[in-house]
Amino acid sequence: MPLDLDPATLGEEFDRAVYGPVTADELVAFARALGAPSCYTEPGPDLVAHPTFCVSYRGHKFFPDNLPPSLRSRMSFDAGKDVELGAPIRPGDTVTVVSTLHDVYEKTGRSGTMVFVVVRFTLTNQRGERVATVDNRLMYRGER
Amino acid sequence: MSVRFEDVVEGDDLPAQELFLARDQVRAYARATDMYFPRFTDDEGARREGLPGMIAPGNMSLGLLAGLVEAWAGPGALCRLGTTFRGLVLPDRTIRLRGTVTEKDEARRTIEVDVWLESDEGERLVLGTATARLD
Repeated sequence: MPLDLDPATLGEEFDRAVYGPVTADELVAFARALGAPSCYTEPGPDLVAHPTFCVSYRGHKFFPDNLPPSLRSRMSFDAGKDVELGAPIRPGDTVTVVSTLHDVYEKTGRSGTMVFVVVRFTLTNQRGERVATVDNRLMYRGER
Repeated sequence: MSVRFEDVVEGDDLPAQELFLARDQVRAYARATDMYFPRFTDDEGARREGLPGMIAPGNMSLGLLAGLVEAWAGPGALCRLGTTFRGLVLPDRTIRLRGTVTEKDEARRTIEVDVWLESDEGERLVLGTATARLD
């Protein structure tokens, strides 16, 4: 475990945020900005969210309070996202986002050692259905 | 018209998409996602953050690549998408979205594809893999 991180921290919920009710207007604005097809941009009973609308939810705080101080004080870069999709988001839905620290690991490349912090958002709707699991991969360069 | 599972062959290329990424489109995405920050909206603000100019949010690239897969596989077909952001995606330029089928899972009727977003010069700025379920 790099950075002397307490393993018990992994998987522990550090934030919970509730969004909604989702409006058709916000789904349409999101999809139009991506040039998405009409099933994501035409208001009506069949409207569902674009599959990546779920990544627009970020919770109240992005990092757990017990993230090692050596990381908290440094600037991170968005290194990537992994999204597993479940039930589509529809107008009127309420979406709960639970945040956990999923992984912390080091990699050494040509530019030196990098630390990756993976923050997982688990999204469910008001029926308890899993909407998406979003892993946010943040990269820290250089010395600890 | 979406592709059918039976018609897909490993090694197939997805129909490539080429688009001019306008500044206003990036701003519209930033506004729609409540990320109306200088780095995504104006050059001066972005330069103050050490960037060469305003950039497209990584999540926007993710969304465009999702669109590439669904334009081929059909709306609702996307099950999973993972991306790595390797380079800055700058507006006011032409970008290309491309993909290749890497695997077919007969039992699950799913397709694995490599996807990427490249600059007009062919530099791969965003790499990813996706899973789509086909009829």
